[in-house]
Amino acid sequence: MLAACTRPSGPVVIGLAGPFSQPRGTSMLRAAQLAVEQVNARGGVRGGRAGGGRPLKLKVADDSGSENVAMRVAEQLYADPAVVAVVGHLSSDPSKAAARVYGGGATPLVMVSPSASNPDLGGINPYFFRICPSDLQHGTELARFAWQTLAARHAGIIYLNNDYGRGVRRTFGAEFTRLGGVVVEADPAVPETRSLEPYLSRMRQGGVDVLVLATERPGAELALREMQALGLRWPVIGGDALTGIEADGALAEGVHVSSAYLSDRRDERNGAFVADYARAYQGQRPDHRGAGAYDAIYLLTRVIAEAGPDRTAIRDDLAQVGRGKPPFEGVTGTVTFDANGDVPGKQVVIGVIRDGRLVTESER
Amino acid sequence: MRLVFDTIRSRIVAGLMPLLIGLVGTALLGAVTLRQMRQAVAEELAGLRASSDVGSGLVATALAEIRAAEQYLAAPSADARKLFQAASDEASQYEKRLEAFGVTGEDRIAVNRLKQLHAAIQVDYSIAHALKDLGRDHEALAQSAAVRPEAAEVTRLARDLSSRQAAKAAQAADRLTAASKEREKGLWLLLAAIAVIALLLARWALLSIQGPLNRLVTAAERFGGGDLRPVTVGEMPREFRVLAEAMQRMADRLRRIVGEVVGESDLIAGSAGDLSATSQQLAASSSEVSTAMVEISGGADHQRSELGAMGTGLEELRRAAAEMAEAADRTAQLGEEIRTVADRHRGDVAAAGKALLDVREVVQTTSQQVGELAQLSAAIDDFVDLIKRISSQTNLLALNAAIEAARAGEHGRGFAVVAEEVRQLADESARAAEEVTRTTGLIREHMEEVSATMTAGQAKVRGIEAIAEGAARGLAEIVAAIEQVEHAALRVRVAAQANRETTERLTQQVEQVASRATAHATSAEQITAAAQQQGASTQEMAASAAHMLAAAEKLRGLVQGLRV
Repeated sequence: MLAACTRPSGPVVIGLAGPFSQPRGTSMLRAAQLAVEQVNARGGVRGGRAGGGRPLKLKVADDSGSENVAMRVAEQLYADPAVVAVVGHLSSDPSKAAARVYGGGATPLVMVSPSASNPDLGGINPYFFRICPSDLQHGTELARFAWQTLAARHAGIIYLNNDYGRGVRRTFGAEFTRLGGVVVEADPAVPETRSLEPYLSRMRQGGVDVLVLATERPGAELALREMQALGLRWPVIGGDALTGIEADGALAEGVHVSSAYLSDRRDERNGAFVADYARAYQGQRPDHRGAGAYDAIYLLTRVIAEAGPDRTAIRDDLAQVGRGKPPFEGVTGTVTFDANGDVPGKQVVIGVIRDGRLVTESER
Repeated sequence: MRLVFDTIRSRIVAGLMPLLIGLVGTALLGAVTLRQMRQAVAEELAGLRASSDVGSGLVATALAEIRAAEQYLAAPSADARKLFQAASDEASQYEKRLEAFGVTGEDRIAVNRLKQLHAAIQVDYSIAHALKDLGRDHEALAQSAAVRPEAAEVTRLARDLSSRQAAKAAQAADRLTAASKEREKGLWLLLAAIAVIALLLARWALLSIQGPLNRLVTAAERFGGGDLRPVTVGEMPREFRVLAEAMQRMADRLRRIVGEVVGESDLIAGSAGDLSATSQQLAASSSEVSTAMVEISGGADHQRSELGAMGTGLEELRRAAAEMAEAADRTAQLGEEIRTVADRHRGDVAAAGKALLDVREVVQTTSQQVGELAQLSAAIDDFVDLIKRISSQTNLLALNAAIEAARAGEHGRGFAVVAEEVRQLADESARAAEEVTRTTGLIREHMEEVSATMTAGQAKVRGIEAIAEGAARGLAEIVAAIEQVEHAALRVRVAAQANRETTERLTQQVEQVASRATAHATSAEQITAAAQQQGASTQEMAASAAHMLAAAEKLRGLVQGLRV
């Protein structure tokens, strides 16, 4: 508030933190920049207590997807009094590390993550919000899809041996077992793992009819390559960490991916967003991280216009979205926060890679 | 300050209170400090215990994990696999708890590395197990061999972590010790400061009581030694001031008393001397008194008989006075009667005077009216003259008419009759007029007589008035004279009364004097006896006076010891 009083006409600064040096961060950065350009083209942040037409400005910070770097970056953003909110971070572990920085001290700072989906993050502190569903929803939705749509009964799981992978493994296993299926085996992997062939060979012996890849893109690519080599043709499903794998062509063709967002989502707002994004970035399509970041920027713009560019006021206003204040309608759907800063009402959709593109799986 | 600490009580309180407050404050501070230290120690210990629990738990589960993994590799079994899985999950929980401590810096990197290594170990063993399950034992062995350096590093990292924790604990302990030393030093300093302040205040309180007390004691000792001169004690607490003032007042009073005693003893000594001289004279004169008294008692008897004779004379005098009073009463009574008669007559005379006045008025009125009648009779005379002239004229006319009628012959006959009649009428008128004139003359005569009688009546009335006035005057004089007589009689009666009273009183006094004279005679005899007794008493008084003189001398000697 003081900063607002001393610089009433200056830009409103929002931090943007994610692994922008890596391919998975690209869409997030681009979509966020697109949103800021659009907001400023329409006159900036206006109305409410923000005064008339202050421009938005991003302070971009690369966390390299690492917890240690994420903490350092978070400390820098926290220390800058001009920064009134942060959009980020992208994945769960850096988000968890950064949330401890943002939520502490005398002037806590709101963080809105577009895609950090680990269940442990929900309610980690009052300053954490996310506009993606948690892994609980991904795992559960994947299990239902495998059981109902793929008619699978014996599942094999290869999971990234971290919070994310373990979370998907746990929630998938629970729901699949509840439905009557059997998890034949669940095998961990790390990015350094050179071969998954032993797992796959054992799964073949065990009689698996669906393979769940609760890994990130490199791990999934390894598994798919080795499946090809072994001549295995199980249906493959995975969480939204696989997003981007569609670029791998034939390798990834037919893989099902759960996602909070698919760019072909039938929605007027989303249509405009995808078109603008394609115009701005040589025909590229946004992923769920980009769409999440885009919604996060617009959501914060609305909140700052209402509450003014003050960290605490933003937090208080944000917590009321969907609870006392109207829900936020974005390109990813309707955002309504619960007490943990989660979006329990948002649906996870299952997409399929067809012709090098991730599209909504049509009902059979 | 002086007002506030004016009393000994307040000075003592002022001396003790800071000490008490300081001690209580120090105790409170000490208690608070201890409490804070205890809390800090408890917190540090809890943190250390939790982190050491987590650290050792992590190492233990990692080891259990490795053991289970190796066991499975040696002899694959569902139990061993379950154990491995359970240990892996438990280790993940420990990792999460380790993160929850919010470790920073070097530890954070170590923890992350630990997590990575641990995940890798799990993965390596999982792959080894898969290979083992597939019957590819050699590959499995090779895979498990890759775990060993990782396991060694995990152990090392865990050990490093716990040694850093231990170092942290030592640091914390040092910090706590330093803090407690600091607090201890502070408390000692505070206590020392309080002690110094308390000593100074106690000294001030003692001095402010002791000094005035010493001065008071000195003054009291002076008084005790008989030095009653005023002393100055200077400034002191209120209680002492009250005491000092009381002592001063006592000294003043003593001084005054001593002065008075000295004066009085001088006087007594003088009086005692005089007394003794007087008592000598008294002794001499009392014998003379007794001699004189014998003579007095003789004289008193004589007096008593003379007084008896005087009483008889006085009785006669009283009787004469009573008679005189009676005579005066009678005189007064007669005077009263006379006045009553005179008053009555005076009223009669006044009534007569008033009647006379009425008479005079009637007479005057009547004579007036008679005058008026005379005037009226003159008018009648005038009228009669007129009638006479008219009748003569008429007579003349009738005569002429008769002549004329005669001349007229037969025609005038009737007329001649009328004329004759008119002539006769005129004659009668003339006669009537004559009659009136005559009557009027008679009336006038009577009126003149009446008028003369009136005048004479008026004169007589005036004479009667003069007599009546004289009578009234005489009566008034009589009344006045009577009043004077009454006054005189009253005075005589009063005088007689007074005379009688005086006489009676005189008689009584004479009787009293007589009885007194008798008493005198008796008294004189008693006095004689008393005078003789007095003579003896005088002797004793002289002796007492001598004693008194001696006592006064002694008193003066005593008082001379005091300095005033």
